[in-house]
Amino acid sequence: MSAREEILRAVRAARPAATPHPDVRAFARELPDAADDLAARFSAAASAAGARILEGRRSDVARLIAGAYPEARVVVSAVAGLAGTAPLGDVPRTLAGIDLFVCEARFGVAENGAVWIPASGAGARAALFLAPHEVVVLEREAMAANLHEACARLDLAGESFGAFVAGPSKTADIEQALVIGAHGPKTLTLILVDG
Amino acid sequence: MSRSLPTVGPGASAVPVDHAAAAARFTADEARTDWHDGALWHVRRNRDRAAAAVPEWEALRELASAIKEHTLARLDEYLVEFEANALAHGVRVHWARDAAEHNAIVAGILEAAGARRLVKSKSMLTEECGLNPYLEARGVEVVDTDLGERIVQLRQEPPSHIVMPAIHLKKEEIGTLFHERLGTPAGLSDPTALTAAARADLRARFLAADAALTGVNFAVAETGGVVVCTNEGNADLGTALASVHIASLGIEKVVPTLDDLGVFLRLLARSGTGQPLTVYTSHVQAPRAGQALHFVLVDNGRSRQLARAGFWRSLKCIRCGACLNTCPVFRRSGGHSYGASLAGPIGSVLTPGFDLERYATLPFASTLCGSCTAVCPVKVDLDAQLYRWRQQVTAAGLAGRKKTLLARVAGGVLGRPRLFALAGALARALLRRLPRPLLRAGAGPWGAARELPRAPAQSFRSWYRDRQRRQGRTS
Repeated sequence: MSAREEILRAVRAARPAATPHPDVRAFARELPDAADDLAARFSAAASAAGARILEGRRSDVARLIAGAYPEARVVVSAVAGLAGTAPLGDVPRTLAGIDLFVCEARFGVAENGAVWIPASGAGARAALFLAPHEVVVLEREAMAANLHEACARLDLAGESFGAFVAGPSKTADIEQALVIGAHGPKTLTLILVDG
Repeated sequence: MSRSLPTVGPGASAVPVDHAAAAARFTADEARTDWHDGALWHVRRNRDRAAAAVPEWEALRELASAIKEHTLARLDEYLVEFEANALAHGVRVHWARDAAEHNAIVAGILEAAGARRLVKSKSMLTEECGLNPYLEARGVEVVDTDLGERIVQLRQEPPSHIVMPAIHLKKEEIGTLFHERLGTPAGLSDPTALTAAARADLRARFLAADAALTGVNFAVAETGGVVVCTNEGNADLGTALASVHIASLGIEKVVPTLDDLGVFLRLLARSGTGQPLTVYTSHVQAPRAGQALHFVLVDNGRSRQLARAGFWRSLKCIRCGACLNTCPVFRRSGGHSYGASLAGPIGSVLTPGFDLERYATLPFASTLCGSCTAVCPVKVDLDAQLYRWRQQVTAAGLAGRKKTLLARVAGGVLGRPRLFALAGALARALLRRLPRPLLRAGAGPWGAARELPRAPAQSFRSWYRDRQRRQGRTS
């Protein structure tokens, strides 16, 4: 018997008594309505996670980035209509020398300050983690109140990868001291845009 | 480099774990014990703050528990659904009955791909299987990339905590280690500078790696994808660069739907570290262009645990570490004293199922205070399961002579009211008359760190009898 068959057979023989599958959507609907001022709650949570928040019109984005990262020389952009200084290469390793990566998130999550970035929005998945600094553009209106709403919204069809990203990378593995910038970006700037 | 204490499999030692003796070695350094206790209690308080900020927290725990129980009762069906959806995305799915099979599958994948350099992110399963020494013996360079895991790997010791692998170490010790191994200046112990040094060293290894191995937090049956939660971004950096990604997961990691996943994501980081969410919650659905993606589904005793009526609910665990942080015994004895890949209350509930004789002392490494059960985000009845294991250990004759004798004597006295009353009177008399050093010596290890109580004038029963008599007169 194959390992697969043997494991499935053992699991089947061990099954405890069946219980119903809870209705998570019904649970989420019962929660007190938290739909007000999602952008403000999102910003507070994202700041607490170590992100910097900027706001403006979509046409302001290039100017805001230049103001926030004046030192950045090699800028790679995955945002349509926003030119970087270097192309988004196909080979992940060629991205190792970039200074700044810019991409767009599909939506934010007010309860924890995370943004959802699928592979199709990140361009090259490696850039999201190799870049020392990162800018994520997000429409102010694109907000889920909590992870229940966020997970109901996830569209993984055709995506090889997607990530909720809450702030820059961090660690507290040495004596619980918080250090921003573990293996991924050392800074993360979110730009909330209107329309 | 051999460092792990695999629970089962190739490197597992047959020597029974003596938790009390190991804990005594840990507590010999009182200042360090207090420091360790305080560090974990700090994390527990962060958890409390995060939980209190979610008004529906208790209902969420209830929901999470119900989802897990439902899933485990149909686990074979959800595994088949998960596999079918993963295969449809071009993932290669492997099944491993035990640790040895898991290790052989991973080695086989690496060999077929010609991969010699492997970067790993946190995986308690590979600790359980003893994967690192197995691969190193076959010439694979294995680099743990989570900062805490890297620290303990360089020290050639196992992680002491599920979520914070190096919580037992002080920054000065890490500074000395990095001076010796990474060439940082002598005396450097600033966490930011040490982290920067590790980042630079590991960045080069990420770029040079042939393959990346990750653990898995959740596998979603309806999407066929796996979800990996990290703060450092190490799992993502590894898998985004290497041409082979292997994700190893225990079969209990499956959840039915994305809606279910949302419930666990709301609980996991809040319970583990007090964050509302880890920095990265990454969904791996399919291989990148030019990449091979493998999922290795591992049983290794899980189906046996599922068949145990009193213990199957331990498989609900999502490895947040909250039960370790709150446990008064874990906080004061350290993760290494458990001698197993999983320490603390959850470890003491899961590991006896692998080898009762070897882990017989672990169910006794608890005060049965129930704090673990109170903080568990998926409501595993940890203290009840610890109690049940004690009964099985004793029934199997593995409780040790002293404990067995003591229990037999206590049972004999407690079961005979007149003998109990006599013993009480005797104890009160002795407590009053015998010299203090003799009394404390007589109380054994318990007395070594405690003062004995002052003997009351009378027993509760005689006080109650008198009271009834007095009330009878006044009414």
